[in-house]
Amino acid sequence: MAKQYDVLFRLLLLGDSGVGKTCLLCRFTDNEFHPSHISTIGVDFKMKTLEIDGIKVRIQIWDTAGQERYQTITKQYYRRAQGIFLVYDITSERSFQHIMKWASDVDEYAPEKVQKILVGNKSDEEQKRQVATEQGNKLAKAYGMDFFETSAFTNQNITESFTRLAELVLQANKKDLDLLGGSMNDEFNLAVLEEQEGLCNVSDDSRKSCWC
Amino acid sequence: MENHLNDQNTECSVSSDSNDCQRVDQYGFERSEDFNYESYEELMSKHLAVVTRRSNKWSKLLQGTVKVEKNVKVKRYVRKGVPCEHRTQIWMAASGAQDQLERNPGYYHSLLKAEHDPKIEEVIRADMHRTFPDNIHFHASSQPCLQKALFNVLLAYGHHNKDVGYCQGMNFIAGYLLIITKDEEKSFWLMDALIGKILPDYYTPTMLGLKMDQEVLGELVRMKVPAVWQVMNRHDVMWTLVVSRWFICLYVDILPVETVLRIWDCLFYEGSKILFRVALTLIRHHQNLISQAQSLPEICERFKQITHGEYVEDCHTFMQKIFMEPGGLSTATITKFRKMCRNRITSA
Repeated sequence: MAKQYDVLFRLLLLGDSGVGKTCLLCRFTDNEFHPSHISTIGVDFKMKTLEIDGIKVRIQIWDTAGQERYQTITKQYYRRAQGIFLVYDITSERSFQHIMKWASDVDEYAPEKVQKILVGNKSDEEQKRQVATEQGNKLAKAYGMDFFETSAFTNQNITESFTRLAELVLQANKKDLDLLGGSMNDEFNLAVLEEQEGLCNVSDDSRKSCWC
Repeated sequence: MENHLNDQNTECSVSSDSNDCQRVDQYGFERSEDFNYESYEELMSKHLAVVTRRSNKWSKLLQGTVKVEKNVKVKRYVRKGVPCEHRTQIWMAASGAQDQLERNPGYYHSLLKAEHDPKIEEVIRADMHRTFPDNIHFHASSQPCLQKALFNVLLAYGHHNKDVGYCQGMNFIAGYLLIITKDEEKSFWLMDALIGKILPDYYTPTMLGLKMDQEVLGELVRMKVPAVWQVMNRHDVMWTLVVSRWFICLYVDILPVETVLRIWDCLFYEGSKILFRVALTLIRHHQNLISQAQSLPEICERFKQITHGEYVEDCHTFMQKIFMEPGGLSTATITKFRKMCRNRITSA
């Protein structure tokens, strides 16, 4: 099967329950926003291909359950990630404070080279804002991360933030790419080789119906 | 709330003539836009006779008694499905929830009246609008709204079982219990039977029981469906990725509603082994599809695919399959594997 992309990255969405991780992902991959969807249980993922500097980048984005106890399951995925979104909700001071906890878990369990960006979601809910943009900026600076305020609802900064993290991962791994002289063949091991999938559509339209 | 909700009881007697019934199913779930009414009608006409026959048999069995005996006849009856109008009674009796309710009068309400841990309250509240947004009874604007009842049951349970508190996924369990029983207190005691007695420790902060059962399923698949076990291994797919939701949600929002309820009939009557039977049947029946997957994403996609379609929608046939397709599955085997997997996880 011919490859439809040059490299494959794994990105991970982390942050408290209810900050909008699944909504960010749905907006980015399907350009959809569902005001009401069900809470994420365990781990799920979606895929999308981007083109950065002429390189076709296939990204696998892992969405996780935000409740603390689910980390006992989701931590196993940290080490497989090349990029991580730390997401909080600008209308929840608590979710912002927890970013420190998420960041330290990432330090502990993710690969050293992992790229991170900070995302303050729900920027459309200005009237309920509890975290000033400046606070987000400051924290991101302290961690040396890029920062975006996003809204899955209005589609603000969605493509920008996902593309930025993909760029950062690409840059961080550029050396490996160059070593291969740009001939990105099967030896290229930024991602597991067997991931030569065709088209993967992980849209979850679980349908319930009664036949009885 | 019992009074408000009783008017839904009539919906139990499966009817499909009104427009409302077409748009939402008898439990209040909205049907998808691509819902196939033709094949639905076809299945309905086939099953209506079965349902009516089962219903009559159950009425005879339960005549003049509220007790549900554990014997081969009742087990056979349960496997063939508990009619909607008897479901609450059978679940309550079979699981011991009824005994608990009678032994602890007023306990549920005392939990609601006591002071609450604001942390538990907050996490539960965050899931309220994310529990069955596609069910009309859970819309914030619906009258009566099951959201409040859901909140109460989860809040009470979190304070009753402090080791568990609240774990995401319990909202779906409590939601289904409320849809069926239409009663907070009964739902509370059924939750307690499930989480405290029937299931391993799925919902505690370590989620050890969940990890254990995922591993147990892995062992069973290795034994009974080696082709799938091999493809999982080859692509380094952790079982947790494909089946954690199956166990945590007890198939809610994974399989069609009626199929889930039929599984729960057995879960309350026979215990948690049924969860493995369902998983093994799904996997074994679709072993070619799964083992031909070429990558991790493809495997995940196929694990989602196998929970949809006619195979799982035809719940009568599916329920027959789960007792045949996976072959023998003794309690001793499950106990042995659970012990082995638990040791493996805790010593890792």
